[in-house]
Amino acid sequence: MFVNFQMMFYSATPAKKIYLFFLFLFLILPWLPVNGFLIYLLQTFAYTAMAVIGLNLLLGLSGQMSLGQAGFYAIGAYTSALLSMKFALPIVLCILIATLAAALAGALVGVFALRSKGLYLAMTTLSVGFILNIVAQRWVSVTGGTMGLSGVPQLELSNATLSSTAYYYLAGFFLITVQIIADFINQSRLGRNLRAIKESEIFAASVGIEVGWWKSGIFAFSAALAGMGGAFFAHQSGFVGSDAFTVRLSIGLLIAAVIGGLGSQTGPLIGTLVLMGIVEVIAGMDKFGLMVYGSVLLLVLLSFPKGLVGGVQILGNYIQSLINRSDVTLKENPLNENFEHLPIKKPYLMETVFNGLELKIGGLSKSYRGVKAVEQVSLSISKGEIHGLIGPNGAGKSTIINLIAGIYKADSGSIEISHVDEKGGLFQEITDLSTVARANLGIARTFQNLQLIEEISALDNVLLGFMRDLDLSGDFKKWLNASLEAEEVEKALSIMSSLGIAHYANQLPKAMPYGHKKLLELARAIAQKPKFLLLDEPIAGINTQESSKIAEIIRMLKASGMTILLVEHNMEFVMSLCDRVSVLNFGKLIESGLPETIQKSPQVIQAYLGLRK
Amino acid sequence: MERSLNFADMEFTNFVQITSNGMALGCIYVLVALGLYITHLTSHQVNFGQGDFLMVGAFTVLFMRKIGAPLVIAFLCMVTILAVLGFLLERMAIRPLERKRAAALGSFSWILTTAGVALILQNIIELSFGKTSQYSEPLFSKQRDQVINFFGAGLYVEEIIVIVVAILVVGIFYAFMFRSKWGKSIQAVAFNSEAAQLLGINTQLLKTLVFVIASILAGIAGVLIGPLVTINPHMGLVFTIKALIVAAIGGFSNPFGILVGGVIFGIFESASNYFDSSLGDLYPLIAALIVIAYRPSGLFGSKNVDVR
Repeated sequence: MFVNFQMMFYSATPAKKIYLFFLFLFLILPWLPVNGFLIYLLQTFAYTAMAVIGLNLLLGLSGQMSLGQAGFYAIGAYTSALLSMKFALPIVLCILIATLAAALAGALVGVFALRSKGLYLAMTTLSVGFILNIVAQRWVSVTGGTMGLSGVPQLELSNATLSSTAYYYLAGFFLITVQIIADFINQSRLGRNLRAIKESEIFAASVGIEVGWWKSGIFAFSAALAGMGGAFFAHQSGFVGSDAFTVRLSIGLLIAAVIGGLGSQTGPLIGTLVLMGIVEVIAGMDKFGLMVYGSVLLLVLLSFPKGLVGGVQILGNYIQSLINRSDVTLKENPLNENFEHLPIKKPYLMETVFNGLELKIGGLSKSYRGVKAVEQVSLSISKGEIHGLIGPNGAGKSTIINLIAGIYKADSGSIEISHVDEKGGLFQEITDLSTVARANLGIARTFQNLQLIEEISALDNVLLGFMRDLDLSGDFKKWLNASLEAEEVEKALSIMSSLGIAHYANQLPKAMPYGHKKLLELARAIAQKPKFLLLDEPIAGINTQESSKIAEIIRMLKASGMTILLVEHNMEFVMSLCDRVSVLNFGKLIESGLPETIQKSPQVIQAYLGLRK
Repeated sequence: MERSLNFADMEFTNFVQITSNGMALGCIYVLVALGLYITHLTSHQVNFGQGDFLMVGAFTVLFMRKIGAPLVIAFLCMVTILAVLGFLLERMAIRPLERKRAAALGSFSWILTTAGVALILQNIIELSFGKTSQYSEPLFSKQRDQVINFFGAGLYVEEIIVIVVAILVVGIFYAFMFRSKWGKSIQAVAFNSEAAQLLGINTQLLKTLVFVIASILAGIAGVLIGPLVTINPHMGLVFTIKALIVAAIGGFSNPFGILVGGVIFGIFESASNYFDSSLGDLYPLIAALIVIAYRPSGLFGSKNVDVR
């Protein structure tokens, strides 16, 4: 048996190895010389950690705040307790149903999450947690109020020690499952999409992420985990009273999540340990309980904003830098080595056909509070064309880009794209489609102000562009075999190497110079495999060498069939690159034609240089 | 205890009492919410312990009057304490976060640091005054339940005076915001902090000042509400929540919306408490949450699209 386990251990992938180690630790713990109280603490650890993991995902990945986790915890606890008391259902089933109930409640509150963020969401969740606590307190006929429900069924085996150990195993098994799922979310596309939303919702939508679904989904998931924790709590001691679910619990869970380090995978476990330590300390001096909580909150947020795990990492890096002081200068990209062995088999840009589409704008108008930013603009951009859009500041160029990308809704007029699936000549109107729908039809963009996810590597930023149908079970299997998105990684690296930024693959965007960040954003847009690419000032603020690189890439994209709309102030760049150029001034289209024509047009000269007297 | 839900049965007396009680409560919420509004305006941050500052205000006056200080001295003492608290809150729990761009909660760490300060305040008050609820002396009338006759209906003097004083404070606040140089500076910082700085406005000082003002407003609300309800060290959370909601109804951006929203909220609460004494206080909260979910920018706010 033990040999078998050893074999399992050595044949497992690194991802699996750590779980097998924890599984082993988890299995032998109760058989070490420990007392009943420790088993009790281990149970508490397991179910508290579930709730903390949920909160950590919510805050760390999607950046949404919840000050009301205690409410979902309470829903889980009461649902499970009542189901087992009134209907005598098996405990495991009760816990599962309770988890589902909390998820539903979370989804309902997630409706708020859909529409609000930051302060509003904090306020809403605080209120919801408060309301649920008051209901638990006053709906005495069901919840027992502060006197609580006693005699909630517990797991019962032949003797008390065995029951307690079995319950520990049950909670621990659920915890390990939850941890694996959380790690999968963290490392897979799920986590990446959530991080994109955290960065900017408009940006996330523009790469085709249904922001609303993802936000309320992760909210419901974290509520479910809080509910699961609450359900385990209910069956642990057989008593559920409303005093357990005050805002103090919500704050406790937040403390654990923050101390562990948000977005970190092991953080919640460490944070839960610290929280339990705090709770034990407080138990000895209840009078100062709140002060301890409050001080810990202040201390952590003001002194260790990245939590203990982050603090240890900083310390570790510091020690490493002391040891390797001489090596630091030699290793320019220490993280890069991992990718050396990955030969790029086929240059993605050469082999991919982008199948560009045609875009027609008719009589488009948009005004902001009476100021006409775009007025009656009609424009048509043919398939595979590089179309330049120029004009003085405030001419309405960015507004047109945002109207095409779907971030603004036009006041009047229409935007149509050629129907790709049908035969030529048929157009599909996209004027009323959402940003996401337009992204899925093949419209990609770059931003005037860079939009990159700062928390994840450059490679992951490019991977964000690959949109596929969600195949969760397939992804999960690949993840366990450490081959998650192998195909996409290869494509992404190929794109990055064509753009000359492959050596940054494993670095965070902040380590990259500005010009390379621009290229990275372009790489992500290319990964979206767009049929129509909107480039908003692609060479603003970068040097000549980099801009000629970008010009080269744009030509390459055109050669592969992509249609491109380019907004740029650099005339030389625009005139040398574009097939046709349109000029805007004060929201109106004043000229459209070949670059040579535009350069000679008196109207354009007047718009830029003023009237010659 | 069950009362009829039929409005027609409701006597005129009850109607008047509900309205006056609701308006008094509403005015209190408005005072607390205006504090949230003014700090949100300048820094997009609010004190998640605003209700606890109210609680500190209430206890300060209670204590001072117990030891025999006259109301004016008690009030001045409260203002001083709350001003210091507001100053310390901004300087020690909020400003240090500015330098930590990589803070755990991104730009929302202040929610937890201000909540942390609130917990500490609760504990200090609890240690000094005990956990039990206390009655504070009426501010203006001789006894707690002194009434005056209003077309046959009895109105509590205390409530009427609370309304009058609150309206006065709101008036002063508006005059300060829209007439004084300070107020205009605050508006300038709200519009564009950097530009305001270039125009010679001391933005750092203003950002502290608004938290001081917010604290004092909460303290005044605490003094006014003292005689209307029982006070205890954990009363703050409810007021924080209600003030946040009232401010949100006004979209955090419209002080007149906050005034209207707060008074409506107070009257709604008073009425729903009358009809359902067990869960009545929750209905206006739930209703307001639904309104905010439906219109996130509030009933009186304006919607802005975030575009980069």
